[in-house]
Amino acid sequence: MSRPEPDAEPREAAAPAERPRPGRMANVAKKVSWSGRDRDEEDEPPAAGETTPLLNGAGPGAAGGPPHSRPFTHSPFLRLGQLSSVDLDDNVRELETEAPNQFPSEIPHSEKLLSLKYESLDYDNCENQLFLEEERRINHTAFQTVEIKRWVICAMIGILTGLVACFIDIVVEKLAGLKFSVVKDNIDKFTEKGGLSFSLLLWATLNSSVVMVGSIIVAFIEPVAAGSGIPQIKCYLNGVKVPHVVRLKTLLIKVCGVILSVVGGLAVGKEGPMIHSGAVIAAGISQGRSTSLKRDFKIFEYFRRDTEKRDFVSAGAAAGVSAAFGAPVGGVLFSLEEGASFWNQFLTWRIFFASMISTFTLNSILSFYHGNPWDLSSPGLINFGRFDSEKLGYTFQEIPIFIVMGVVGGILGAIFNALNYWLTMFRIRYIHRPCLQVIEAMLVAAVTAAVGFVMIYCSSDCQPLQEDSVAYPLQLFCADGEYNSMATAFFNTPEKSVVSLFHNPPGSYNPMTLGMFTLMYFFLACWTYGLTVSAGVFIPSLLIGAAWGRLFGISLAYLTSGAVWADPGKYALMGAAAQLGGIVRMTLSLTVIMMEATGNVTYGFPIMLALMTAKIVGDYFVEGLYDMHIQLQSVPFLHWEAPVTSHSLTAREVMSAPVTCLRRIEKVGTVVDILSDTSSNHNGFPVVESSPDPTQVAGLRGLILRSQLIVLLKHKVFVERANLNLVQRRLKLKDFRDAYPRFPPIQSIHVSQDERECMMDLTEFMNPSPYTVPQDASLPRVFKLFRALGLRHLVVVDNHNEVVGLVTRKDLARYRLGKEGLEELSLAQT
Amino acid sequence: RRPPPQSGPEGWGLGGGRRLLSLELLEEAEDLSLALLGTGLPGQLPPECRELLVGFANSSVRLTGCLVRSARPVRLCQSCYRHFQSVTEQLENITRAVGNSSESNCAKSLLMSDRVQLVVILSQFFNSTWKTANCANCLKNNSEGLSNSTIDFLDLFNTTLMCFERNFQGQAINFVPSNHTEVCRNCSQTYRNLNALYNKMQKMTGQGSDSEHRTPLCIDVEDAMNITRRLWSRTFNCSVPCSDTVPVIAVSSFILFLPVIFYLSSFLHSKQKKRILILPNRIQSNASLVNIQEKYS
Repeated sequence: MSRPEPDAEPREAAAPAERPRPGRMANVAKKVSWSGRDRDEEDEPPAAGETTPLLNGAGPGAAGGPPHSRPFTHSPFLRLGQLSSVDLDDNVRELETEAPNQFPSEIPHSEKLLSLKYESLDYDNCENQLFLEEERRINHTAFQTVEIKRWVICAMIGILTGLVACFIDIVVEKLAGLKFSVVKDNIDKFTEKGGLSFSLLLWATLNSSVVMVGSIIVAFIEPVAAGSGIPQIKCYLNGVKVPHVVRLKTLLIKVCGVILSVVGGLAVGKEGPMIHSGAVIAAGISQGRSTSLKRDFKIFEYFRRDTEKRDFVSAGAAAGVSAAFGAPVGGVLFSLEEGASFWNQFLTWRIFFASMISTFTLNSILSFYHGNPWDLSSPGLINFGRFDSEKLGYTFQEIPIFIVMGVVGGILGAIFNALNYWLTMFRIRYIHRPCLQVIEAMLVAAVTAAVGFVMIYCSSDCQPLQEDSVAYPLQLFCADGEYNSMATAFFNTPEKSVVSLFHNPPGSYNPMTLGMFTLMYFFLACWTYGLTVSAGVFIPSLLIGAAWGRLFGISLAYLTSGAVWADPGKYALMGAAAQLGGIVRMTLSLTVIMMEATGNVTYGFPIMLALMTAKIVGDYFVEGLYDMHIQLQSVPFLHWEAPVTSHSLTAREVMSAPVTCLRRIEKVGTVVDILSDTSSNHNGFPVVESSPDPTQVAGLRGLILRSQLIVLLKHKVFVERANLNLVQRRLKLKDFRDAYPRFPPIQSIHVSQDERECMMDLTEFMNPSPYTVPQDASLPRVFKLFRALGLRHLVVVDNHNEVVGLVTRKDLARYRLGKEGLEELSLAQT
Repeated sequence: RRPPPQSGPEGWGLGGGRRLLSLELLEEAEDLSLALLGTGLPGQLPPECRELLVGFANSSVRLTGCLVRSARPVRLCQSCYRHFQSVTEQLENITRAVGNSSESNCAKSLLMSDRVQLVVILSQFFNSTWKTANCANCLKNNSEGLSNSTIDFLDLFNTTLMCFERNFQGQAINFVPSNHTEVCRNCSQTYRNLNALYNKMQKMTGQGSDSEHRTPLCIDVEDAMNITRRLWSRTFNCSVPCSDTVPVIAVSSFILFLPVIFYLSSFLHSKQKKRILILPNRIQSNASLVNIQEKYS
């Protein structure tokens, strides 16, 4: 679309990754006569396009799609697919002529969209000749060195993740301690003299000003650091390149943001962000350089590609889980659960190593910090404390009770998710400006403080003061030597509240307090998740669950008139597990995480039952919180399998067509034009045999990526220059790795007029054996191949090995099993 | 060769005392006979060990008595520290006896020659009790007496109680249950001092360790403070905090109202974000689309 004349200079109007918005179109329209997507010219007759020599055949509607549609005749490009069948072409034409009346159209955001912003990772290794050469050059010992380097990197990932976790933990403890002591002194002062409303104001202002800072850095500097980061990492492990997600800047913002939001008293935890932090650390270390800091340490150059990087990111995520919960096995299983299709045994073992190192580092540093070196008793950021299995054992009769708790957790989790869904939708539609987001976060912080204060104020539940049970005992209206028991829940960091709900002796909370707390905290946590602050949802869920679980336990003890087995702490744990399972719907990894965090294998079975029931019940209503947010972000996420009822769809219906192909020996001008075409930001181009005769069969020869082409253009690897011996050296794989991961945009590469006439030989650089499927392959078959191999492009060929279409992630991700059977999502510009 | 059975320093009624005395005499006789019986055989307990055992028995009897007697109100540390010390000494004697004579290994025969190991159990019990009560906290470093701060505190505590008593007696005549204004007025200063001292002591002990695992003060001090506080705020109802419900409700409802305004205004004034739909181009006849819809509807 709007392709310039061959002699026109390359456009610099818009970055290729971005589609021109109406505002920008003016810029482009100066140079080209007509633009199909310009809404002002929507009513222009489509025939105009057909008569224009440059645009013949390719209607404006067709041009909107990611595959660039090509002119049919007298064009330098090859038009593939036109030979396959005549009536097919007619169909295409029909659609194309209808298109301008329907598109472009604007719709409000909904979950049934796929954003163009997200691209795939190149997980598939490109086995071109350079790669083979390098492999031949490196001998056996060098490969062993690479293996050793992998272990070293994993160890470093573990250590650094542990250190970051320590940093967060210590700073949060210090700052929160400072805040609570200031507010406590103030409250104590005003309790005697009167004027408690000032304490309330002080608390609310402190909270919202801290949260304001946390929200500003997220909203204005790095919006991808918002939230827990688990959905983003899930997407990354799934194979989606989420922009900026593994940058150093994101890590910094994430760490500061999470500290500020926890100190700001929001209903959030610092555990989820640890996973994201671990992932960023892994991605950074494995590359041996920082593109943001412009520092290259010249190490680990072998790992500069998506395949290796993603393996390390899964190690980093595992290390993050392990540091957050003290659950190394849980961390490994988390990575397994989220990225399982690209898995092998050695990788698992390495990831386990990274997890162990991470929890060990955290443990030893914290043991020094707490003044008992090498005690190694705090393996994670949250420590559920010891559950004495003798006292808190469970009996066979209790199993139905745990299942009932699972059902409750599932229902509550579904309500939580449904509420959060509406809220998030509202936020995406209306609160999209950064300053509004900051204000919202501040308001939530202020309200959280106000609600907490009012609850504490109204509560008359006083408990005798014990030395080490309460960190910041608030007396308020209680008698001297007693403290307000509501305050232990609200006037504390959420982690501490969870632990006190688990472990405080029976009778520490009265049922009224717990009921009110559950209700309030449920809404607060639901409201908080999705704000533009970096914060996790694990701890709030655990807290809600622990509160109602404890309530459950107390009522059980009341009903059975104080039976020995009805210990509220045990039920608090089960409630926490059920609630968390009902909200996030993770199964295997969550069970193991809970088991490891409690340090009690006996509880494995009841926790598993509770989680399982919660997931089954919850899935009946809505899906998990993370999946929901992934959908709302319009990420092309590939689930485990294709929708069950999709066998009748064939690759022919799924694929994008026609495809922009390159010839094996292609003119530079053509390549530049294709790459700088703003209407299509394709990343992979099938390479076909270059034959002068257009009627001859042009079989598929390979696949080349945009990034490779850009590197080739940058180094001016042209046939003519090679013939004139102008090229000093042959291009090596290293040149491609050096450019990774931020390849320069095509606009930054200058190609002179003479050079446009040169030819490029792509044979050496293309992937000579791309994966292909026949046209009749069913969707589940294509899906399986795509998902299991982590592909980015899957070429659809006909019987003569001619390219008829290309299947990309978005083509597969758009089929989804909805309420009324199979649904198709639409692509949208976000 | 053993001290005469002693009656406790205080407390026993005469009759009970006599019965106990006779019991003890009986026990002693048994001890003696057993000892005589055993001396001849090589495997039996040597007399010096028996002596040690009896020493430990006596001191533990004294300590147990003291502990129980000072259980309520708690005076454990003040009154029993000497007894505790002597028990520790006796135990040390037993353990130290190992090196002295190899042929009569008292430690071995007393501490680890049977399954029950009563001496060990007892000494463990004493130690754990002492640790739970955290008596070390209000004793001097070498356990030779109460520490200065504890003595000060107990003095002040006594003064406070006296003050309570003095003022309360005046009121008890015209018994008004809730109104003890006189006590509150007169003793407020002493009570405050006591509270402040207690808090200071708490802070001092908490300094060394971190906030999570604070070592508590010793039980005597804690209990004394608890009693005083309970008297002060429950019995006399002296701590009446000002409750200003109206401003709190006003401020909190103002804060709660803000988000409502925020959401409403952003709903009304903010432009809804629109997504631009993009038509994918693919070979897909309308027929096949209909086909799909038929299949799944």
